[in-house]
Amino acid sequence: MTTPHTPDDRPGTPDSDRAPGAGPVSDAAGPRLIGRSMPRIHDDRILRGDGRYTDDIEALDAIDAHGGGSLAHAAVLRSPVPHGRLTRFDADTARADSRALLVIGPDEIERHADPLPTVWRMPGQLQDRIQVADRTVRYVGQPVGLVVASSRAAAEDIAELVEISYEPLPAVVGVDAALAPGAPLLHPATADSTGTPGPTGTPGPTGAPEGTGPAHGNQAGEARFGDPRADVERVIAAAPHVTTRELAVQRVSYTSMEPRAVLAEWIPGTAQLSLWSSTQVPHAFRYGLARALRLRMDQIRVSVPDLGGGFGGKTVLHVDETLVCLAAKLLGRRVRWTEDRNEALTASYQGRGQNVTARLALDTDGRFLALDAHIRGDLGAFATQAGSGPFQIAGQSIEGPYRFDRAGATVTAVYTNAVPTGAYRGYGMQEACYVRERLIEEAARELGLEAHELRLRNLVSAAEMPYTTRAMSTYDTGDYAAALRAARQAVAGLPRERTGRVRRGVAAVPSIEATGYGPTALQETIGIEASGWESGRIRVNEDGTVTVYAGAIAMGQGIETTLAQIVADRLGLPLAHIAVRLGDTETTPHSDYSSQASRSVVVCGGALMRAGEQMRARMHALAASYLETSPEDISLDAEQVFHAGKTSRTMTWRDVAHRGWLGWGRPAHDRIMLEETVDFDPPAITYAYAAHAAAVAVDLDTGKITVEGYWAFPDSGVLVNPAIAEGQTVGAVAQGLGIALTEEAAYDPHTAQPLATSLWDYELPAPATVPTVHVTHTETPSTFIPGGFKGLGEGGIMPPPVVLTNAVADAVPEIAPALHRTPLTPYRVWTLVQEAGLEG
Amino acid sequence: MSVAAVRTVTLTVNGTERTARTEVRTLLSDFLRNALGLTGTHVGCEEGICGSCTVLLEGVPVRACLMLAVQAEGARVETVEGLAQNGELTGLQSAMRDEHGLQCGFCTPGILMSLTAAEREGLSEEETTGQVLAGHRCRCTGYAGIRAAVARRRKESEATP
Repeated sequence: MTTPHTPDDRPGTPDSDRAPGAGPVSDAAGPRLIGRSMPRIHDDRILRGDGRYTDDIEALDAIDAHGGGSLAHAAVLRSPVPHGRLTRFDADTARADSRALLVIGPDEIERHADPLPTVWRMPGQLQDRIQVADRTVRYVGQPVGLVVASSRAAAEDIAELVEISYEPLPAVVGVDAALAPGAPLLHPATADSTGTPGPTGTPGPTGAPEGTGPAHGNQAGEARFGDPRADVERVIAAAPHVTTRELAVQRVSYTSMEPRAVLAEWIPGTAQLSLWSSTQVPHAFRYGLARALRLRMDQIRVSVPDLGGGFGGKTVLHVDETLVCLAAKLLGRRVRWTEDRNEALTASYQGRGQNVTARLALDTDGRFLALDAHIRGDLGAFATQAGSGPFQIAGQSIEGPYRFDRAGATVTAVYTNAVPTGAYRGYGMQEACYVRERLIEEAARELGLEAHELRLRNLVSAAEMPYTTRAMSTYDTGDYAAALRAARQAVAGLPRERTGRVRRGVAAVPSIEATGYGPTALQETIGIEASGWESGRIRVNEDGTVTVYAGAIAMGQGIETTLAQIVADRLGLPLAHIAVRLGDTETTPHSDYSSQASRSVVVCGGALMRAGEQMRARMHALAASYLETSPEDISLDAEQVFHAGKTSRTMTWRDVAHRGWLGWGRPAHDRIMLEETVDFDPPAITYAYAAHAAAVAVDLDTGKITVEGYWAFPDSGVLVNPAIAEGQTVGAVAQGLGIALTEEAAYDPHTAQPLATSLWDYELPAPATVPTVHVTHTETPSTFIPGGFKGLGEGGIMPPPVVLTNAVADAVPEIAPALHRTPLTPYRVWTLVQEAGLEG
Repeated sequence: MSVAAVRTVTLTVNGTERTARTEVRTLLSDFLRNALGLTGTHVGCEEGICGSCTVLLEGVPVRACLMLAVQAEGARVETVEGLAQNGELTGLQSAMRDEHGLQCGFCTPGILMSLTAAEREGLSEEETTGQVLAGHRCRCTGYAGIRAAVARRRKESEATP
């Protein structure tokens, strides 16, 4: 059932819309909390300035003009050359500085630390670890050592006293240059290896990729998704029309407003490492640290305080963070490191970076016969923990919401002399959406068809659900055509001006989003060393308050509020009764992925739906026993008082909880502890979807694009808090507009130096860039996630780059064939206008 | 390299006189955070672009990362911690909460200071969302909730002249 749902009309979700598993709550006190827009529970604190981000902890210790407090400060020594061999590390002068507490280089690091483990290696990939002390540097910004001193300023002073020499090696920028014959090799030791092909054979029902051969040159690995290449080639060769394009999505920087930060403390007496970190994945962070620092897992506690944005950039343990923890261990004291913006832009990993050769074959009626993509993904200097993951997901999801007779993608991961890439909001699906929708738009232009009609003709219909793609993804529910029609309708009456110096155009495209990642069995099939389950724990305390523990972390997405709403809804309590505890390896449930991959509401929320139902049943049973009636006779009112219908006796929720913990008068088989824990492993990926539309103006004299209107029609199943859902969507659209128009983490092709080293060079979407984004959610419940939830954190970022590009193509068809990459900066657009002979 | 020179800096922060010793090279943003413990002022870029560190100096919004603490000697400084009185949010802070004007909250303190100054100066909604907000970067919200908060404040001020 699909319920139109607009920001001004936010009804509570009626029972009839509840998905299977939601279950009835017969006596919920007051209005339901699932489906209600409510202010977030921690906003008051943040607004008062009482946020507690990692760099805020022990802040007062930080500067002491007389030699520093108990807190020590780290500065990271980084390579200024893009490729070379470190030949000398002389820290004698630096260590002689009275403010220096520790200076370590590759020798010391190697002596005390081991490489970091990887978790997802692509077929053929030989690199299975991440060096923490590499004497070969492969990107500008690579950590080669660490200075610890009494203050941050002192550490930075002393860092300049360390003398490091490099023997330069030729560097290579970009995947196609790196794959060219004779390109400098980043990892010559493995470049000509026979390799281990990884999982091979026909893709299984879960879509595991097929390895296509050993690594060679700068190629780290290669895999094929969907139909075998020969099958696709056969269809393309016989097709009446084939549209071919070389397309690219640039490298981008996460640019969370809070940079990465670590505060680590090693207590020698107890041999415990406690740390606060701005990480999205405290458990994975701890696992990597334990391996690298040769510690037991239970010697490390990772806590996540307030987090100033993540977007995927904080989903892995970086080498520099490892070195800070090593320094704390070597010094036996607290060490703080907070990266500056320059480091955030050049030494934090980046996202995207794909060049794609894409072909779409159609018959004379505009039916999609075949789609093929060769994706060359820019790994950078080495493969991070999940390395080629975004490229593989781009290949896996290349078909999107359409039907093809045959479809497949070959994914090649490539080493280049730039900072490594990793998970970025949209994770390969934005790139796939860009490639697919650009190709469809160009095919329509070549064939003289209306692109909208071409899309409708080939979209998977609601009647075809569940639908399995050529790459073995199974879409569960949704009406993609309805969303696309709504988006198209939003721009149908707007001006399309193809004359004059300011042109106007519109576009609408659909997208899908794999959410709730993911079933543990799927990860096993793919070979990702991670599990996808989540544990939800609800504790009713002795005073009747409720504490919720989950594996998600809060990074601004409002998950603490959303999970509290779910539990309050299930228990029939007001929101104020619920406290949510997240992000602490000592107290919160294990989670390999925590918050990323649009999964927190789906998997953590799904677990808490069930735990909430169990806890509700236990509290009602307890109340029934105290009130000497049956559980079915018990109701809970809006004042949190249990009523026995037959006897009219009452007892407060609080008193039931208190007596429950005492355990008096309970049968021997009954547990006393008022805690319910449910593990939930999603049975499948649940697919959210959307269609977006935009209206743009293009100034031919300046190349400037103005977004004059933007509309989003997402469907992420049942919404817990529609206001938060809208905020996530609008924010993701804004981030997508950045990819579309302004953001690029570029490298000089000759020197391999990073060109975006400050926010002056890396242009974030400004208020003037982001128009009002009109969001209209529909709610098609997931059929197998408790509560009917689907994820939505990433969906909003996927269409904007291609919606804008296609709208520009609509406005200026003369440059349409050349619109093959983002961002569409004024200079790039102006150049295309000039090349098309449209100068004024 | 020799240790940098140190001075004593005294300024009035949120109505209270505060004194601390600090290196002369210390930025006002670091001084507020690390010498005075006022961590509500956030440092996002240290180059004057993002606006997270905005404070009011003699009532005027400034980037605390673009001036030295010693330059603020004797000045009257307002930070985000000084907005709410006795824990009660200002109208602007409430509007930001009610309109979902923040997500991760890192850029929020600086935005609150600029918008507070704009309210005091009586700037119009258009001037506030067009010019004042232009001095800030928010990575999470797409600015929608922030604009809505400004609009809500205008409506409130019209309702209660």
